[in-house]
Amino acid sequence: MVLASSVIALAAGAPLGVLLGSYSGRGKRALVVVNRTLMGLPPVVVGLVCYMLFSGVGPLRHLRLLYTVTGMVIAQIILLVPLIAGSMEAHVSTVAPDIRETAHGMGLGRGRTLLLLINESQYQLVSAYLLGLGRAFAEVGAVSMVGGAIAYKTNVMTTAIMNYTNMGDFTTALALGIILLAISLLLNAGVALLHWGLKR
Amino acid sequence: MNLPPITKTYGGRRVLDLPALELADGTIHAVIGANGSGKSTLARILAGVIKPDQGSFPYVGQAGYMPQRSYSFRMSVVRNLQLTGAGRERAMAQLEAFGLAGLARQNAKGLSGGETARLALARVLMEDHPLLILDEPTAAMDVASALRSEEILLEYQARTRCTVVLVTHSMTQARRMAGQVLFLKDGRLVEQGETGQVLSHPRCAETQAFLDFYTL
Repeated sequence: MVLASSVIALAAGAPLGVLLGSYSGRGKRALVVVNRTLMGLPPVVVGLVCYMLFSGVGPLRHLRLLYTVTGMVIAQIILLVPLIAGSMEAHVSTVAPDIRETAHGMGLGRGRTLLLLINESQYQLVSAYLLGLGRAFAEVGAVSMVGGAIAYKTNVMTTAIMNYTNMGDFTTALALGIILLAISLLLNAGVALLHWGLKR
Repeated sequence: MNLPPITKTYGGRRVLDLPALELADGTIHAVIGANGSGKSTLARILAGVIKPDQGSFPYVGQAGYMPQRSYSFRMSVVRNLQLTGAGRERAMAQLEAFGLAGLARQNAKGLSGGETARLALARVLMEDHPLLILDEPTAAMDVASALRSEEILLEYQARTRCTVVLVTHSMTQARRMAGQVLFLKDGRLVEQGETGQVLSHPRCAETQAFLDFYTL
């Protein structure tokens, strides 16, 4: 679930961030402020909104997404897209003027300039993905509300840790926490290796 | 090349206020002046990177332009030149001329500041432009590289007969390269004329005062 939501959020958030970072026209500041506000979205609020949309009386009830993994992925994507877009925007805003000016001097069109901008942002793409992945791993509020933490169906490690803690089973909760941390370490190490490979 | 009056204002502050100018075709025009005199703003307006307060220029979109901050793209050195649409053979020949052939396969992000400037100049000279705008192209280069780059630039200009606007802080470079000099101060054109006349016998006291710093 974490991989699915982080990859989809990267596919949606990165182009948005690049476009926002390279855009220099009117309204940019307002768009950046809106995105930065969304970066701080409390997961429980996202969970609540998704719950209301997917519940039996919600407008999207016919999709039957409540208490499903798909619903949880959607909730996480909503949380991650602004985060990834914001990370990309901050980077692109700093490099875009030089790239645009150089590309202009070479007579390159807007399309090729945008491609160059994306190419120049490949390290940041990895960093933005790691940021999203970390958030997805740590997130519990939205997935517990949308998924319902149903055993063997929508109970993920973070919600299971919460449940075991509530039941007073600290040993199992702690063990799950260590496993979660180990998985996160492995994934991060893999991405760091990829990052290192790109730098060479 | 006749330029209309150019003004540029940033946040209520007028940073450039030039009268109509005539730049002789097929000539290298050195633009000199202290920091903040408007040289780079003029270069960026002529290149079409920024717009003046009003009007436009006939060469926008056709001019070759090397910005003050040289930029190399995250790809091999030779691919940086091929971005202009040139073939590998032509790109390699250009790298050879600029002494960068040995670095052709290296990632351009690993180049030093001087090498990046040589790459940027090599890249902009890959194509024939009717107008070439160079903003301190050799400022980051060592003396030998700067002199070699000047030679290549002079050959390019002689071959293409293009008009060159060369922003420089080097009076010796202006003497070696330019047929005409424009001296800017606080966004105004103080003096324009032949290189020998402006640099050796300036008509304006402000130009003389500026040049005096270079003979101290």
